[in-house]
Amino acid sequence: MRTFVAILGLLSAASVNAQVKLPKYAHEVLANGVTVDLLPRGEFPLVNIEVLVKGGNEAEPLEQAGISDLTVQMLREGTAKRSADDFSDQLDALGGSWRAASTAQAARISAQFLSKDFDQGFDLVADALLHPSFPDGQLTKLRSRMVDQVRSEKDQAQQAISRYSNAFYFGSGHPYGRIADEATLGSLDRAKVADFYAHNYTGANIIVIVAGRFDENAAKAAIARTFGAIPAGQPFQWAADPATPTASGNRLLLIDKPDATQTYFTISMPGINRTNPDRSALWLVNTLFGGRFTSLLNDALRVNSGLTYGASSNYQQDKLTGALRISTYTKTDTTVQAIDMVLDVTKKLRETGVTPEQLASARATVEGTYPTRSLETPGELAGQLGDIELFGLNRGEVDDLFSSLDAVTVEKADAVIRKYLQPDGLTFTVLGNASRIREQVKKYAPAMVEVAVSQPGFMIR
Amino acid sequence: MKVLVEEDHNIPSVALYFFFKVGSRNERPGATGLSHFFEHMMFNGAAKYGPKQFDQQMDRAGGSNNAYTSEDMTVYTDWFPSNSLELMMDMESDRIQHLAFDPKIIKSERGVVYSERRTSVDNSNRGLMQEQMQAAAYEAHPYHWPVVGWPSDIEAWTMDDLKQHFAMGYAPNNCVMVAVGDVKTDEVLRLAKKYMGPIPRHDPPPPVRTIEPKQTGERRAIVHKPAQLPLEMIAYHIPAAHDSSFPTIEVLRALLAQGQSSRLYRRLVDRDQLSIDANAFAQSNLDPGLFVISLQPRSGVETAQVEKAAFEEVEKLRSAPVSDAELQRAKNQLLADSFRQLQTIAGRANLIGRYEVLYGDYHKLSTRGEDIEAVTIADVQKAAAEYLNTDNRTVVTLVPEKKTGVSE
Repeated sequence: MRTFVAILGLLSAASVNAQVKLPKYAHEVLANGVTVDLLPRGEFPLVNIEVLVKGGNEAEPLEQAGISDLTVQMLREGTAKRSADDFSDQLDALGGSWRAASTAQAARISAQFLSKDFDQGFDLVADALLHPSFPDGQLTKLRSRMVDQVRSEKDQAQQAISRYSNAFYFGSGHPYGRIADEATLGSLDRAKVADFYAHNYTGANIIVIVAGRFDENAAKAAIARTFGAIPAGQPFQWAADPATPTASGNRLLLIDKPDATQTYFTISMPGINRTNPDRSALWLVNTLFGGRFTSLLNDALRVNSGLTYGASSNYQQDKLTGALRISTYTKTDTTVQAIDMVLDVTKKLRETGVTPEQLASARATVEGTYPTRSLETPGELAGQLGDIELFGLNRGEVDDLFSSLDAVTVEKADAVIRKYLQPDGLTFTVLGNASRIREQVKKYAPAMVEVAVSQPGFMIR
Repeated sequence: MKVLVEEDHNIPSVALYFFFKVGSRNERPGATGLSHFFEHMMFNGAAKYGPKQFDQQMDRAGGSNNAYTSEDMTVYTDWFPSNSLELMMDMESDRIQHLAFDPKIIKSERGVVYSERRTSVDNSNRGLMQEQMQAAAYEAHPYHWPVVGWPSDIEAWTMDDLKQHFAMGYAPNNCVMVAVGDVKTDEVLRLAKKYMGPIPRHDPPPPVRTIEPKQTGERRAIVHKPAQLPLEMIAYHIPAAHDSSFPTIEVLRALLAQGQSSRLYRRLVDRDQLSIDANAFAQSNLDPGLFVISLQPRSGVETAQVEKAAFEEVEKLRSAPVSDAELQRAKNQLLADSFRQLQTIAGRANLIGRYEVLYGDYHKLSTRGEDIEAVTIADVQKAAAEYLNTDNRTVVTLVPEKKTGVSE
């Protein structure tokens, strides 16, 4: 009985959860343009040091796809005062963790150390970022390993289809459609990496974030002494949002993997960028559509019919307008049944819209799971600050989140559904045993493109 | 039912974990994968909360959930805002006591589980290798069969199998409950008494009597499959997680494969460029598990070359003592890693439960630092000599076959 009353309460109340706030942090822009955020938070003896370099994959020339990733991964492979081995010995002796990767908008180093090791840990981060020597031998090794990693991804269907989907949906003319492969990586050398570094790793493009347990004054002084002393350089010029890939009618890419016993597919359509005013409404709509276990897609394809282990939808939140994408898989025989069902669920949602109960439930899920997903660890907090700096947002992104979610009405949600969940102009990417599904999937897009999974790379040239 | 509570009011959320001491080791040939299938069925309706209700109520309360099954246990995990604690206890007690068995739902869920198998094993090279590795390394003990079950068994489970499994494994006396987060211990205990207390106890699963006989020579399994690159897994039998040598085995793992200063990374990935990566993993199981080295050979490199170099590095640990500095480096990595896993309420709930069930005592989580620090150079060499030897090893290789346009 008590439970029942509580649920009624949930439906009528605007918000079930008290807004969790971003902890207090110090923000400063140094004279050379370096942005510094310090967020001391006391409970646990760990400190995260994150450095973001604006540009990321968006800064890559077409024929050099992968150069941002190669550059950021090379930072620890030799510096002015440390060999690659020295660097690893010292990092591991501290028990430090080190992740280096390039994302759409930024190259990112995320390092974590025990708080007592802050000075040594910070010295490793600053040395790698500011004094890399890019030794030729290490660069050649890393580059050829990255080529093999591309090949290895082909053996993992879910990773592969995500790459193919981006390449096909955006096309190689768009930064998000340029996927590193044998050809682009093979063309990279020390001179190109050094040049990419010199242009992009400058004061105006660097964001340093420290979160966790640390001495704020010591961190501030260390950052000023190191990152504060580099040239400002030219701020990265963000590209204008290219016209969203539009096609009259559907497009379909079929990737033949003859040994697959299951078909993996995605359906992509235009979504939003990180600052789009529809983002709160789309968050709720996507939660209902394919963002949680009870979502319409998973309910239809998994729970009611047993066609798949999971069906979901998600949307990019990057600088440029990204894709909204439905993803699932099913055994080869039920490929068409599953694709038809996805299209049917989408169509029905467009027609019926959402109920107030559904909207309240989505809001409860998003707000209830937000603290453990986004604000629990220093790493998550640093991630929030990184987004704020990178996309020109402010702390309201966290602090006012619940009120912006609460403000989404049924009418607004329905409008967002009609705006984004498109019935046509869809991009299908299908990976499976082509000989058994080729004829059937043609019906979705007569002008179908087919490639063999063994064909190098992910881009359709 | 044992209840373990840790209060943490840092964020207004709770992690509530239920560790049932029943897993694939409690199954039998013909009904393999049943524990895992049962885990799925636990979300399909009980007496008070019908089909889909568990998840829908969870959503409305702002919570989320998941579950996992291993060889040794079936674990249910709930994360939710602290004001929903009573609803969670009510829903959990309902399904533990009064699970429904609807033939229609069983049929549909069977399809879901088969899809999970297709994704994680049949269409995953690593998953397939791991299945072959377990099957080859264990001849007698139930760790021989996969947690997800053999395909023929997935197709054949009956309603009676499910009911028997429920009766065997699902009683509070076979479960450890862990609550971490924004709770008050008294309140958790009060609710546990109210909702779990009245559920009758019954006999836990019969003891697993079979002890894997000592391996007396290298075993091999080969997987032929279309692939871009080969794969290599090397497994050695090691003691159970509760054994006093386990901290030493963890140190061995770090020495071999944690970080870019580790022996396998430096030799195979960096210096000789034989492998894309170098990973090692020590299974922390209720019964003796495996120490697994996993490598992906570079294109053009034969698995034989990769394994020769890996065996040489393993041999060095057996034949020569590690240096003080190297040992300390491995220990520091393990200690920092423990801190990392304890950062979240979910991470803590999981570790507390795993230590209680698998390592035999949750207190071992708090002495973990001392236990790791106590490992000596001699311990490392002795353990390497005892466990990482040729006769105790199982090698699985995936040899790519080029297949073009031929369907099965």
